[in-house]
Amino acid sequence: MATDRRSPALATAGWYVLLSALSLLVLFPVYMLVLRALSNPLEYIAQGQPLYPVQPEWDVFATAFSEADLGRALGLSALVTSIIVVVQLLTSVLAAYAFAFLEFPLKRVMFVMVVGTLLLPIEVTLIANVETMRTLSWLNSVQGLTFPFLATAFGIFLIRQGFLGVPGELRDAATLDGYGHLRFLFRVAMPMTRPIIGSFVVISFLGAWNQYVWPRFATDRQSWQTVQVALRSIGSDRVDRLNIGFAAAIVAALPLLALLIFFQRQMVRGLTAGAVKG
Amino acid sequence: MSGVTFQQVTKRFGDVVAVDQLTLDVLDGEFMVLLGPSGCGKSTALRMIAGLEEVSDGLLTIGDRVVNHVPPQDRDIAMVFQSYALYPHMTVARNIESPLVANKRARVDADERERRVKEAAATLGLEEYLGRKPGELSGGQRQRVALARAIVRRPEVFLMDEPLSNLDAKLRTQTRLELVELHRRLGTTFVYVTHDQVEAMTMADRIAVIADGRLQQVGAPQAVYERPANLFVAGFIGSPPMNTLRGVVSPGTPAAVTTPSGTVRVADRGTAADDTEVVAGIRPEDLSVVPPGGEGVVGRVENVELLGHERHLVVSCDGHVLVVRQDNGEPTPAVGETVTLAARPEHVHLFDPAGSGRLN
Amino acid sequence: MTDLPGAEAGAEDLVRAAPTAPLGPRSGDGRRRLRDALMAYLFLLPALVTFAVFAYYPLYRLFWYATHRQPRFRNRPPTYVGFSQLWDSLTSRDFAQGLLHSATFMLYTVPLGLVLGVVLAVAAHRRLRGIKVFQTIFSSTVATSVAVASVVFFTLVNPEVGYFRNVTWLSLNDPTSAMFAVSLSSVWQNLGLTFIVVLAALQAVPEELNEAALLDGFGPVRRFFRVTVPLISPALLFLAIVLVIHALQAYAQIEILTGGGPAGSTETLLYKIADPKNIRSLDLKAGLSIGLFVLTGLVAFVQYTLLSRRVHYGD
Ligand SMILES: Nc1ncnc2c1ncn2[C@@H]1O[C@H](COP(=O)(O)OP(=O)(O)OP(=O)(O)O)[C@@H](O)[C@H]1O
Ligand SMILES: [Mg+2]
Repeated sequence: MATDRRSPALATAGWYVLLSALSLLVLFPVYMLVLRALSNPLEYIAQGQPLYPVQPEWDVFATAFSEADLGRALGLSALVTSIIVVVQLLTSVLAAYAFAFLEFPLKRVMFVMVVGTLLLPIEVTLIANVETMRTLSWLNSVQGLTFPFLATAFGIFLIRQGFLGVPGELRDAATLDGYGHLRFLFRVAMPMTRPIIGSFVVISFLGAWNQYVWPRFATDRQSWQTVQVALRSIGSDRVDRLNIGFAAAIVAALPLLALLIFFQRQMVRGLTAGAVKG
Repeated sequence: MSGVTFQQVTKRFGDVVAVDQLTLDVLDGEFMVLLGPSGCGKSTALRMIAGLEEVSDGLLTIGDRVVNHVPPQDRDIAMVFQSYALYPHMTVARNIESPLVANKRARVDADERERRVKEAAATLGLEEYLGRKPGELSGGQRQRVALARAIVRRPEVFLMDEPLSNLDAKLRTQTRLELVELHRRLGTTFVYVTHDQVEAMTMADRIAVIADGRLQQVGAPQAVYERPANLFVAGFIGSPPMNTLRGVVSPGTPAAVTTPSGTVRVADRGTAADDTEVVAGIRPEDLSVVPPGGEGVVGRVENVELLGHERHLVVSCDGHVLVVRQDNGEPTPAVGETVTLAARPEHVHLFDPAGSGRLN
Repeated sequence: MTDLPGAEAGAEDLVRAAPTAPLGPRSGDGRRRLRDALMAYLFLLPALVTFAVFAYYPLYRLFWYATHRQPRFRNRPPTYVGFSQLWDSLTSRDFAQGLLHSATFMLYTVPLGLVLGVVLAVAAHRRLRGIKVFQTIFSSTVATSVAVASVVFFTLVNPEVGYFRNVTWLSLNDPTSAMFAVSLSSVWQNLGLTFIVVLAALQAVPEELNEAALLDGFGPVRRFFRVTVPLISPALLFLAIVLVIHALQAYAQIEILTGGGPAGSTETLLYKIADPKNIRSLDLKAGLSIGLFVLTGLVAFVQYTLLSRRVHYGD
């Protein structure tokens, strides 16, 4: 802790030193990845693995696209992620609307059914779902990669919470103005919960893009590997081709880096949802 | 245009009876105020007119149509809420036009819509704010947007639920006048809910006083003030509230009520029989200090509240506290002094202590 | 409020009409209610169908697989052998070992992850020029997936080409250190999340509370433990649970960094379930999955009870 009473300037300098040291700790692994991606793998090892690039090969990213089929993997990831995000948003908004604004028999039972899925993440149901896909011949297919994720309890809860924040008098006013359910949903409820919906989209994207276990086992052909799954080949790659795998990892992280930079607020709100509210 | 009629209307929320057998006729074009303490059921009554709450029992009529099961958007009413309930993401113009857009039945073509929005905005002096969002307006401006949204649909009945309670005191006084003016101009039925008796007294054609879900009295403000139907109304309307003294009716004419601290003359004893217990109600302005030894109730001055334009004497008489309203010109008794108070006999109200109903 | 009789006086204004008129078409409300219900079911249908097919049906299938023996020959149907087979799976060496390894992974990732997250957040929670830059750096690992983080750590701990290949306590070749090295990749990958959540919690602590504690004469250390920690405890609890769940679901880092080795020392429960080399029987894997399901349920239960009791000041 700071001894800010004695010398503010010194204390400030101390904080900068600490913050820089911590930044180094966080960034060192990233630096190593970039370093290894750019260096010629064999030369780098031959030089005794220094902390600076060796014989930088800037075309490694192009090579990753041309030789390691990175473009196809990225395309598949993008497709799968888009489908999951868009459909999750739709199913979550609709279900959240029903739970927040409508009265109907068996509401509690259905809500419990949604809550229950929190105990059934894909890791638990992996084996059975893979068998289902095998039966349906959906291994190595877009529907196989996406269908299990077309709805999410997290999204339903989050958006329902947002909808519940719409003041009662506003709903009454809308009723009197003659809004039907769909109109109210799209013209009032959704615009009013835009920040929460934004957070959900960001978190949903994060989750879908980063998935590993399901796409790993819902596919058994290399041509159906998402970019995350493609990264696993690093362990079996020839040493002289390691830089391509490292470059692929950098490319795989770029969309999320962009997300973090441009949608930081939504991401923070989404990640902390549940933490502060409980 | 049309009035609103409640016939034995009851509203239950589970075990809670929010409105109990309400029978009330709101006349066509009338400014009716539903007045009562918090939780008495006045909002519930209003929301039943709007169709936001279902009627549990009884008949609710708007115009000559029974509306018990008519959905809200088909009732031809407009409502102004306490929180204004404006759509925060829409501009003022879009807020005002929303009843004309959202309601299939009320939909009008774009030109007509624009004309009506302009007109409503002009009526409430909102022309320059049409492009703003509610968040960029002051409380009073928002309130006027809510009013504009209500008048744009030209409803049969206006419903307002404490629309002034979020305004500061000065703005509230001003808006009160504007609402009365608006009512005069539109000539439409207004049903207005408030717990503020000043609002009720100043705006209403008639007041309906409600307590515990039940109607206590209906009448013109002055009539309710002058002849409260029961002890509740007597205590609720008027500030400071009516003084009450328990006593026994003494035989003879003119009638009098004998209390432990003295005698109160009554001009009209009504149905109060000799030797029965009654509660005498006297408004602070109907009490005056008389020379010692005169007829009246005797008490000790506890406090003198100076209000500038008048004075309130707080007098304790055998455990009862009486408040006397005095003009500045009258002589002031000192605190601690013993005074005799006399009431104007023609302004003494008698109530039944058991049923609390009015006797004279 | 006193109980008062109903409307009596003022009757001159009161029109008392007996409710003899018909109640009007009753169907209005009923139809509206029916329409609302139908709409609700329609709205819920996509989500509930998804859950039914990809969450609840698989749960049923897990029990089915766990209680059936797969035939030796493909053309025969599986035979029911009963819950004793599930019991065997849950008492198997594989389950005990997987559990132990998952618990070890948890032990390495959860406390360390929390402490580092708090350190980063406390360091970055102050008004300094350029603090945003540091905050962005500390958040940056949320942009990495488990797979990317694993590749990142591949450059550090791979026994042949990693930067720290000669550091024995990070060796992936040694069964005693391999799990720790793998855990570090998760700790690093989770730093962004823990940092973001703790920082948000710190920012939510009212400034006056710190000032009040300052006036009360608390030193900075005591102020931190007496005022700040209790106030951010809900966030810490939330993070602890998230990290426990992440640990239960750890897979990619193991496949990419060690392949479960050396000598199976990094085979967590999920690794045994996923079984990338396909060496276990379906019924055993189904049994292990049910074990994972129970563990997930336990965590959720703890989360629920703790959160409903509210560890903090309440609100
Ligand atoms: N949706 C509801 N469910 C259950 N009880 C309700 C509901 N709405 C109102 N009540 C109850 O009905 C009674 C009357 O409520 P209402 O809102 O009409 O009071 P009010 O006179 O408008 O009071 P206020 O001046 O505080 O707004 C109260 O006891 C209230 O608790
Ligand atoms: Mg109310």
